[in-house]
Amino acid sequence: MRNNRRMLICLLAAALLLLAAPSLASETDAALDAIRTRGKLLVGVKADVPGFGAQELGGEFAGLEIDLAKALAEKILGDPNAVVFTAVTAKTRGPLLDTGELDVVIATFTIMPDRLLQYEFSRPYFVDAVGLLVKKADGISTYADLADKTVGVAQSSSTRAALEPAAEALGIKVEFLEFPTYPDIKAALDSGRVQCFSVDKAILTGYIDDTVVLLPDSFSAQPYGMSIKKGNTALLAAADELVAELRANGKLDEMVAANALPSVNWDEVDSYGESLWAAAAELAAQ
Amino acid sequence: MNGPFSIRNWRAWFAAAPLFLKGYGQTLLISLWGLIFALLIGVFAGIALTGKNKPVKALLRGYMSFFQNTPLMIQIFIYYNVLPKAGIRIGVFAVGVLGLALYTGAYAADIVASAIRAVPLGQREAAESQGLGYAQTLWHVILPQAVNVGLPALTNQAVNLIKNSSVMAVIAGGELMYVADSWSGTNLIYGPTFVMTGVLYLTICLPISMFARSLEKRSVRGV
Repeated sequence: MRNNRRMLICLLAAALLLLAAPSLASETDAALDAIRTRGKLLVGVKADVPGFGAQELGGEFAGLEIDLAKALAEKILGDPNAVVFTAVTAKTRGPLLDTGELDVVIATFTIMPDRLLQYEFSRPYFVDAVGLLVKKADGISTYADLADKTVGVAQSSSTRAALEPAAEALGIKVEFLEFPTYPDIKAALDSGRVQCFSVDKAILTGYIDDTVVLLPDSFSAQPYGMSIKKGNTALLAAADELVAELRANGKLDEMVAANALPSVNWDEVDSYGESLWAAAAELAAQ
Repeated sequence: MNGPFSIRNWRAWFAAAPLFLKGYGQTLLISLWGLIFALLIGVFAGIALTGKNKPVKALLRGYMSFFQNTPLMIQIFIYYNVLPKAGIRIGVFAVGVLGLALYTGAYAADIVASAIRAVPLGQREAAESQGLGYAQTLWHVILPQAVNVGLPALTNQAVNLIKNSSVMAVIAGGELMYVADSWSGTNLIYGPTFVMTGVLYLTICLPISMFARSLEKRSVRGV
C-alpha cells in the first residue's frame, strides 16, 4: 500500500517534469528551415465552418482559410499544394501548436490581447461582428429583449466578452452558457435551453433555417489572425508579409468574395488593429 | 519562459482557483445525489432481479441492457435537448443527477443481484424455517451478508460515477470539467488547467478507490 502511494507520487512528479520540459525550448529561423526540409506546411483548420474551413464529402477542405493556407505554402515552399490540413477544434488548436504537430492554425481564431500572450498572431485577414440568432416564435427583436434570458456561446470564443459590456450599457442582465460546438448551441436553441445563439455573423448565417432569424444587432468586431507557436517569429513574419501582400494586390478581397463571405472594411480593421498588440504588451508588463 | 506551463500561466490558474472550486463543489453535489439514486435503483432492481416476478425481471433486463450499452453522453444529451421537445423540461442539475443515476443504477443492479445470489441458499432456508417472511429474511439475513460481497464493486462504480460526471461539460453543466473547458478555452491556458483539474478529481476518487481496495482485502480474508 505505502509502496504504491510512493510510486504514484514519483509517477506524477515525472509526468509534470516531462510536460514542463518543451516549454524551455526556443526557436527562430530553425522553424522555417524545418518546414522547408519537410517540404510540407502543417496547417490546422476548422472542418465545420462553411465559408472559412469546411470539409466536403470527398474529404477535401474548402473555404477562405484553406485558400490562405495554400497561399502561405506557396510563399514559403513555392507550391500551393504542399499543405497538410488537420481539422482542429477550440480545444485542440492550442495544444497542437505547442507540441509542434502544426506549424500554423487558421481557424476563425479571434485575436485578443490575452491570447497574444500565449500565441503569436498574424495581422487580421478577416473581421466580423458578433451577431444574434433567435427563434422566430420567441418574439425577440433586439438585444434588449434578451434581458434575463440565456445566450448560448461557443467555448473558447470571444463572444461573451463582446456581449457582456453591451448588456451592462443597456442595464440588462443576460446569462451565458458555453457549449463545445456550434451544432450543440443550435440544438440548445431548438430545445429552448437558450433563447439566443451568438457567435460571429458569418458563422451564424450557416445556421439560419425557417424557425430562426438573425437580429440586426452587431457587436464588437472580431478580427481573425493566423496563430503560430509563441516565439516562432520567422514564421510569424512570413504570415504577416503574406497578409500585407494579399491585401495590397486585392487577392484577399477576391478570396473573401469567392467564398461568399461579406467584404471586409480594411480601414476599420486598421483603425483598432494595432491597439490589440499594444494592450497585450501592457498585459505582459504587469 | 513561454509555453503552456509558464509561470504566468500557473499564476493565472491559481488566481482563478475559486472558480474551479465552485465547479468542484458542483461535481461533488451532482455525484452525491447521482450516487444516492443509483444505489436506490441498484438495491431495488437487484432485489427484484433475484425474485420471481418474470415481467418485472424482463423489464429490468431491458432497462439495464439499454443503459449499459449506450454512451452516457448520448443519454444526457437526450434529457437535455430532446425531452424539452416533448414538453418535459428539467434543469441541468437534475439532468446530471438523472443521467448518472440511471446509467450507474443499471450497473449497480447487476452487482446487487449477484451479491444476493452469492449468499448461500441455506441461509435463506434457515431463516424461513425460523418463520421469517420474505421481507424479514431479506432485511435481516440476506442483505447484511450481500453488502460485504457487493460493496467493493459498488464503491468502484461510485468512482466511475464521479469521473463520468465530467460528460456534463457538453451540456454546460457548471461542474468541474465545464469550468476547465470554458476557462482554458477563453484564456488559452490549458497546461495548469488540466493538470490541476486532474488533481482535483484525484482528491475525490483516490480516497474512495483506496477504501474499495481495503474492503476487497477484508472480504478476501472473510472478515
